[in-house]
Amino acid sequence: MKTFLRQIGALVRLSFVELWRRNDVFGLLVLALALMAPLSMASPFGASGASRYLDEAALLLIWAFSLFIALGTGSRLFPPEFESRTVYPLLSKPISRGRVLFGKYLGAVSASWSALAFFYALYFGSSLLRGGSASAEFFQAVALHFAFVALAVSVALLGSLLVTPSANLTLSAIALTGMFFFGRRLPEYAETLSAPLAWLTRLVYAVGPHAEFFDMRQRLVHGWGAVDAGVFAVVLAYAAAYSCVCLALAAAALKRRRL
Amino acid sequence: MTTKSALRELCPYVCLAALGLGFSVSLAFAAERFGAAMPQVAKGGDALSVAFGDAKTTISLAMVHKADSYFHGGIDMDCDDAHGHGHERGQESEDEHGHVHEHEDEGAQSAGGGSDPWRWINSHIRAPEIHRHLDGAEAVELMPWFWAAVKADPHNADAWTTAMYVAERMLKDRNLARRIADEAGAKNPDSMEIAIATAQFEYDRGHGDVLLAEALFERVRSIGKAKCGGRLAELDPHDAEDFCRALDYLSKIMADRGDKAGVRQLLEEVRSTGLQTPVLKSIAERL
Repeated sequence: MKTFLRQIGALVRLSFVELWRRNDVFGLLVLALALMAPLSMASPFGASGASRYLDEAALLLIWAFSLFIALGTGSRLFPPEFESRTVYPLLSKPISRGRVLFGKYLGAVSASWSALAFFYALYFGSSLLRGGSASAEFFQAVALHFAFVALAVSVALLGSLLVTPSANLTLSAIALTGMFFFGRRLPEYAETLSAPLAWLTRLVYAVGPHAEFFDMRQRLVHGWGAVDAGVFAVVLAYAAAYSCVCLALAAAALKRRRL
Repeated sequence: MTTKSALRELCPYVCLAALGLGFSVSLAFAAERFGAAMPQVAKGGDALSVAFGDAKTTISLAMVHKADSYFHGGIDMDCDDAHGHGHERGQESEDEHGHVHEHEDEGAQSAGGGSDPWRWINSHIRAPEIHRHLDGAEAVELMPWFWAAVKADPHNADAWTTAMYVAERMLKDRNLARRIADEAGAKNPDSMEIAIATAQFEYDRGHGDVLLAEALFERVRSIGKAKCGGRLAELDPHDAEDFCRALDYLSKIMADRGDKAGVRQLLEEVRSTGLQTPVLKSIAERL
């Protein structure tokens, strides 16, 4: 157990350091400031007092950046190791492929979570400055967003072992953003399609990663209040189950891979 | 890195920039030369409008839709015109009822989920427990979306008139409504919809603004006549409706002044449109 934790700890630390060393987060922060500063200074028709649009824009940026970071870290876990052949010395150590995968996954998730926590800390700070306060739905929204990041990393990790890096990034981004924006409308959309396409759409609806479950932006922005605890737990369980399935498939793919 | 290799690296970007510049200049030329022949895209007359005319209109409509969603406390209502806020005809109560009723149906439909667990989750995560409308000072949250809508497409009359309505009736800020009306009028001098909305605001206020309202209704009348070259029967139905509404208000003002001949003239003009409208009856009653 001690060895397991030490091995996992080392892999987590590695992913963590890699993300923060790449300065992606700071680049995104500068981009966010460049977008938010003019928005916050805007005074539509000379009317003042509107703030929900700022919250909405800030949360949308946090979601976009978190997806960018999660897919980036998740998809970069193995391909560079295969390309530079550093995977050989890694696997020559007394550590199983499954454990390497799990450790790297945990590292990517914790690194992405740290970036997300950084963004939410900034959002919360700006919200406090504008007279906001901590609410139950805020913590629920953050928790669900963290769960989404774990799911997105697992999807990118699975893709990285099945297709080329660029295809993986493209497909994962399309799947997750597509489900985020249109996932809940798929059944209605399927009704309007011919039989084979409708069947395909229903299949996507059934097995696709439902990113929209984790989106509590409207609740936060418009103050709808917290989600029922049971529903909240179900969504967390969905994220855990989906991530586990992706990791199991990724472990199988890694195991079958000829190195 | 040598200067030569640096220049070689820069070359594609310089070519791309030159292409972009050439494209922009061509668009600007096209807007200037063929603007009248492309009313669907060359609305603003500038290069951006030519390139992104339709996209800007779509974005503008999306912004108005977003404002509608904000009005309903963040719920995407997919409202159509039939469920509009009806500010033009002063039917708030009926339409408010319409909205509530529609939402209740939607809630009842989505909350169940039936055998679809994903729908069940979505209905709980993405639907509020109570349906609230933005009201009073809170309605200022709608303004950024209307502002974005008219920035994207300054000819979106619906965005202008709804913004005026929100400023005047919900925020009770007449100065803001006046500023919006002025800007809308300046950017859309030929829009009957905007002119009549502005005129109605002035008229409904009363208290000495009737003269200004009359001038604005007269403007709608002259825009209408100019649009069809004086042949009122050829006005399109939407414009004809606006035209008749303006004449209805004008007839009230003239009747209050005792100008029966003027009212008779207005009645003739409404008849000339060929529109079967209650305005005919209401003007006739003023004679």
